[in-house]
Amino acid sequence: MLHSTKERVTTVKEVVNMIETKKRSWAEPFKIKVVEPIKKTTREFREAAIKEAGYNTFLLKSEDVYIDLLTDSGTSAMSDYQWAGLMMGDEAYAGSKNYYHLEDAMRKYYGFKHLIPTHQGRGAEHILSQITIKPGDYVPGNMYFTTTRHHQEAAGGKFVDVIVDEAHDPENTFPFKGNVDISKMEKLIKDVGADKIPYISLEGNVNMAGGQPFSMQNLKELYQLCSKHGILIMLDATRIIENAYFIKVREPEYKDRSIEEIVLEICSYSDGATMSSKKDHLVNIGGFLALNDDKLAQKARELLVVYEGLQTYGGISGRDMEAMARGIEEAVQFDHIRARIGQVEYLGNKLIDAGIPIVQPIGSHAIYLNAKKMLPHIPQDEFPAQVLAAELFVDSGVRSMERGIVSAGRNKETGQHNYPKLELVRLTIPRRVYTQAHMDVIAESVEAVYEDRNKIKGLKMVYEPESLRFFQARFEKL
Amino acid sequence: MKSQYIEPFKIKVVEPISQIGKNEREEVLKKAGYNLFNVPADKVMIDLLTDSGTSAMSDNQWAGLMMGDESYAGSRNFYHFEETIKDIFGYKHVIPTHQGRVAEHLLCSIVVKPGDYIPNNIHFDTTRANIEYAGAIGVNCVIDNAYEPDIKDNFKGNMDLNKLENLIKKVGTDKIPFCLLTITNNSGGGQPVSLQNIKDTKKLLDKYSIPLLFDACRFAENSYFIKTREEEYKNWPIKEIVKEIFKHGDGCTISAKKDGLVNIGGCLCLNDSDLARKITNLLILVEGFPTYGGLAGRDLEAIARGLREVLDENYLKFRINQIKYLGDLLEEAGVPFVKPTGGHAVYLDVKKFLPNIPQSQFPGQALVCELYAQAGIRGVEIGSLMFGHKDPTTGEDVYPELELLRLAIPRRVYTTAHIEYVAKSIIEVFNNRDNIKGLKIVYEANILRHFTARLEPI
Repeated sequence: MLHSTKERVTTVKEVVNMIETKKRSWAEPFKIKVVEPIKKTTREFREAAIKEAGYNTFLLKSEDVYIDLLTDSGTSAMSDYQWAGLMMGDEAYAGSKNYYHLEDAMRKYYGFKHLIPTHQGRGAEHILSQITIKPGDYVPGNMYFTTTRHHQEAAGGKFVDVIVDEAHDPENTFPFKGNVDISKMEKLIKDVGADKIPYISLEGNVNMAGGQPFSMQNLKELYQLCSKHGILIMLDATRIIENAYFIKVREPEYKDRSIEEIVLEICSYSDGATMSSKKDHLVNIGGFLALNDDKLAQKARELLVVYEGLQTYGGISGRDMEAMARGIEEAVQFDHIRARIGQVEYLGNKLIDAGIPIVQPIGSHAIYLNAKKMLPHIPQDEFPAQVLAAELFVDSGVRSMERGIVSAGRNKETGQHNYPKLELVRLTIPRRVYTQAHMDVIAESVEAVYEDRNKIKGLKMVYEPESLRFFQARFEKL
Repeated sequence: MKSQYIEPFKIKVVEPISQIGKNEREEVLKKAGYNLFNVPADKVMIDLLTDSGTSAMSDNQWAGLMMGDESYAGSRNFYHFEETIKDIFGYKHVIPTHQGRVAEHLLCSIVVKPGDYIPNNIHFDTTRANIEYAGAIGVNCVIDNAYEPDIKDNFKGNMDLNKLENLIKKVGTDKIPFCLLTITNNSGGGQPVSLQNIKDTKKLLDKYSIPLLFDACRFAENSYFIKTREEEYKNWPIKEIVKEIFKHGDGCTISAKKDGLVNIGGCLCLNDSDLARKITNLLILVEGFPTYGGLAGRDLEAIARGLREVLDENYLKFRINQIKYLGDLLEEAGVPFVKPTGGHAVYLDVKKFLPNIPQSQFPGQALVCELYAQAGIRGVEIGSLMFGHKDPTTGEDVYPELELLRLAIPRRVYTTAHIEYVAKSIIEVFNNRDNIKGLKIVYEANILRHFTARLEPI
């Protein structure tokens, strides 16, 4: 297995080497200005804590966590420039100057016409779903995301996965596993008719596939197809800047283009975007819906005042809009994005070298441990990824997240578990927060758990919420 | 007249403001469709649009902002937030939301069925919108005095128990999933509800097994009025009065942007565990994980600290008297407004101020525009633009009884000199009121039209 893994790595490296002949090391393009102490605990303490949390890392208290890799969402370290922006908050209920700054930044870097600020990304998804989807509609997407699919279904739509097959194979090293399979899309249009498809939801760096990008080439083909049939392309632009980085380093045509230019080009092939600014934009809260169509934007704003807030604040404070505007400027800097993804790759390569099965190629925001491979003796309905995340916490205080059968939920019709092909544990790296030494600690802990893998037993679920069960489900050891 | 209060704080951080010229203000108005919600904040000299989210935070709160634990799950700030709210309000479950209207939305989505009736003293605009969006009807049951701007009643926010009981008898208990009580009563002039009335309301509702929920945005201001106007409680600490109020309810929605002294945040409190669980599931979908609910960790911390600060009686005394001072200045000059002054705003009585402009021509909005044009002050209309609508059966225009212009005073933001400038400007506009003309609507949205409507002078 070790041999074959290495072989695959070479394939990815080949792609990268085609473009970047001289590989230079990255270092953080910043120094540390403010620190937050973290707590190391004993193994006994952690065993008690995870038991109390029902073996669900979501239910741990954050102060009991040593290194928190639960998510990269809202967990970034802001810069001094952003913190200074926080002090410049204009908290007027209407017409805050920070709103106009954010609108300028969105237009400059994403190129959409209308900005509809929301308190976070799911607020934008909620509004987009409500204004575009009719009962009986189909919403194709390059793999589902938990909250996105829920909003689509709540509006009466049916999600259809049109991602390339490679995305479902954790060991396939295809460089653009976030691509849409154009033939699947064509088939869907043929089967249900374009008028039943309000839009395709296109996610950059597909989270559930392991943070995998789509290529510009693929987007262009999709754009052509969708234009022909009058289907809108709505980006889930949460990590689109990280996707742009992969386009730059993996798609030869784009190697001399700036991240800024690539992001703008991506957006030019779409009709709007939902954005959780808690990722790429380096802030702790905020998001937006961006649209080109005037009528849709007007509808969105009418709903915005009910669900979120007035159109010039949308449920976020003025200061947070300012931090977002400033974060966007920082996020598109090549040095930043290279160090960001470089850190994730550093951790990933360490694990690959140690023979740990992870999803490849390495994504931009997280390492995904292949729990099916790591714990082959635990059947999927005994939640191998859930127990792996719990064991990792017990070993070192590192908090990760299950992305497998628990996240996939149940089939609405049969009531049975959905059995996803991927049974993963996500180690998500917050932006600008942890150092290389932290990465070493994480790698060593994964290795230690892997060595003792035969002692690990499965779990049974003792409390299961109706929807999005992974957040609050509770388990016991078998 | 001299100001009777002294700020119980000194100023630590300032934000410059400036006045643009009168011609530019007129241009701005035109461009904004005579709707002040469309005016950029930097074109406003004194912003009295709302007291929501516009407070100055203390150094203690700002320090709290630096202590944000931005973990997605289990942030220590959430535990502090939860513990503080449980301690102050006494409810079992605390569900954080990014602001108050979401708490309303969650509650209505789960509990309200089409055809239901939700009584309140007077529903505020977003509350009414959320109720109507869920297919139900909001019914105002406030005492009649609330609609008499000149009657100085101590508790004009009180529920009229006869109206409430008549509604229950008329539609039946199964059509009323809960009753709301807004403290203080914003749309009725920021007027308080007495503890006696709260107790009586609860007793009546108990008879019919209808839960009572508070819209608790301005709970501390209401408590101060109870302390100073209800004999029985004059020696009670504010914190005890707050406890006493909420003891009589089954839960509350809170927009922390008012008495929480913060710029963003809110929550829903409930005793019913089953309901809390259902709402939490929806929360995750529309807001965020239950330990952050769509807020940054630092904002949860600022709320926890703000809710403690607002219970300080010296602060409340300053706050209420600042509003009263503006009212006193206006009264001296004979400007008509809702009396007595409420907890967070002065409400000009536009029907008396501009008796010649009919409600079909939005006199409140016309006055809002004039005050901005003359003085760079931004107020908000609470009248025919905000609440006017077509009767669903007859199709005729229905106008609210009160036509008000609200001058909401942000907390800890403006000085006595600012207040005096506002008073002088209003008096000047009052003296030249015959020049003011009505408006007509040229664009309106289906719900909450006042936020986005565009108008033109007639």
